[in-house]
Amino acid sequence: MAGDAENVAAEEQVQRSVARTLKNGLLFLIVVVLLSAWAYLGFYTLQPGQAAILLRLGRHAGTVSEEGLHFSWPPPIVAREIVNVSEVRSEDFGFRGRESEDTARDELLEATMQTSDNNIVRVPFSVQYAIKNAFAARFRVAEPNAVVRDAAQAAMREAVGRMTVDGVLRERREALVSEVRLLLQDVLDSYDSGIEIQAVQLGDVQVPAPVRAAFDDVVAATQDASRLMNEAEGYRNEILPSARADATERREAALGYRDAKIARATGEAMRFAAIAAEHRKAPEVTEKRLYLETMEAVLPSIDKVIIEPGAANLLPFLPLGRERGSAER
Amino acid sequence: MRRLLLLLLLLGGVGVALVAAAQWEVGPLVITREGEQKIIFRFNEARVATRPGWTLRLGLPVIERVERYDARWLYLNTETQSIQTKDGEQLQIDNYVIWRIEDPKQFRTRFPSGPRDAGERIDRIVRDDVREVVGRHTLGEVLEGRRKEIMAEITERTRGMLSEFGIDVADVRINRTELPAGTEDSVYARMKTERERLAKKNRAEGEERARRIRAEADREARVIVANADRDAEIARGEGDAQSAQIYAEAYGSAPEFYSLSRTLEAYRKAISQNTTLVLSPDTEFFRYLRGVEGDAKAKSRK
Repeated sequence: MAGDAENVAAEEQVQRSVARTLKNGLLFLIVVVLLSAWAYLGFYTLQPGQAAILLRLGRHAGTVSEEGLHFSWPPPIVAREIVNVSEVRSEDFGFRGRESEDTARDELLEATMQTSDNNIVRVPFSVQYAIKNAFAARFRVAEPNAVVRDAAQAAMREAVGRMTVDGVLRERREALVSEVRLLLQDVLDSYDSGIEIQAVQLGDVQVPAPVRAAFDDVVAATQDASRLMNEAEGYRNEILPSARADATERREAALGYRDAKIARATGEAMRFAAIAAEHRKAPEVTEKRLYLETMEAVLPSIDKVIIEPGAANLLPFLPLGRERGSAER
Repeated sequence: MRRLLLLLLLLGGVGVALVAAAQWEVGPLVITREGEQKIIFRFNEARVATRPGWTLRLGLPVIERVERYDARWLYLNTETQSIQTKDGEQLQIDNYVIWRIEDPKQFRTRFPSGPRDAGERIDRIVRDDVREVVGRHTLGEVLEGRRKEIMAEITERTRGMLSEFGIDVADVRINRTELPAGTEDSVYARMKTERERLAKKNRAEGEERARRIRAEADREARVIVANADRDAEIARGEGDAQSAQIYAEAYGSAPEFYSLSRTLEAYRKAISQNTTLVLSPDTEFFRYLRGVEGDAKAKSRK
């Protein structure tokens, strides 16, 4: 029986050690499972455009912005905030497009501003912004969107308030946009907001409806003025060439006259000189010849009356009054 | 070895448990996240204000208590108010404040019932400051050049006023200024007359310039033609003078013969078909009409 007792004791011992091993093994298994389950929580994936802000026991321990699988201490040691950083957000101010009856008064007011020359303009605009510092945007400013909204309005009003109405409407739109962008970025940086202004866009900048016609008329007046000037230029372009042509004509005519006159004089002089040379050789004969040639040429075609010198009393009977032409020698 | 491992595990487990418990504000660990700050009270006495990270406390329930405050910049849009500027213009001004709880213990003593009261107080103070500062400037100054300085002045003032509440102010900014309803019409009327004046001026100036261009063109044209006339007369004169000189030279060499030949040439032109000539047979031409001898008499007549 003693052997039996020993056997039982040994058996019990074996059983106990098996049980202990089992228990230990089970405990180990549970610990391992629990630990790996906890560790599993430390893995996280980031999509493109996402950033994870890691807070270790509440403190900022870094921001991860590469996409893919990451590991950190699992919660609650490290708490993670996953923020979408690539998303571009937009805030619109005032109506887009034209003003109409059903445009809400608030929308109108949002875009209604005063210029430095105390005119009222409606400057609808929009601001695009993104997060450049995820941590700041999440933990430094309480309401980033509201801040952007109000700061943008303040910046636009400040910039518009420094410009004349003509500048805002036409000449300096580009300057306005870049100025607002700079102002707004400065303001947002001063709150450490982590927000980056990517674009400021102006909508259809207009003066209020009651004065629009008067503004349009100024534009029309400018166009009228340039039309008048163009016409005047046209007149000038027409009249000057014609004057120059006139001048050339007159000059050329005069030159022609001069040259012709001189040529003629030269010719006649030469002719005279030639005849005179002949005349010098035989004056009597030449004179006579010339006289006779002339007479020969003149006399055939005219009415001739040949009267003796003593017969002057016959004159009244001649038909002299018959025609205007008369000549005496 | 196994014991050590177990101990470590145990410690780790306790640590994690404490951290987890802190999430529900239980236990000796206080965890302050970024963007918040906490006050630890003992017997209703504010003892510690925390910064982001962990802080130890006794962790006794009932006796100790934790309050959480925002540490971020907070945004507050104040109510629109109507303000009279120095030059008597009415302006509707809307502004916003960026503020922060700088010293939570002080903040708590001034606003025991919480941040809502603080908001109202800030709103009131800011609006007073804005009214005060804007009232010292003219409308023009508020709207244009000095807007920045005015806002800086208001910010400075408000910051001073609120520092005793444990509040820091980053910015007080006028985001909207409007002329009060009703005055718009008078502004429109002024804008309109101004534009009409501009339009008239533009047109008149355009006409002025156009007429100047025309006048200048006319003048230039006249001068061009007149210069040409001058040159033309000079050329004609030259022609006349030179031809006269040529004639004079040529005829001067034989004046007698010139007289004869020119006279004869003139006869050719002067005596035409319609001429009736009463001639005496004594003329040179008819010398031989009465016979070859009768020439002496004719010759004497010539």
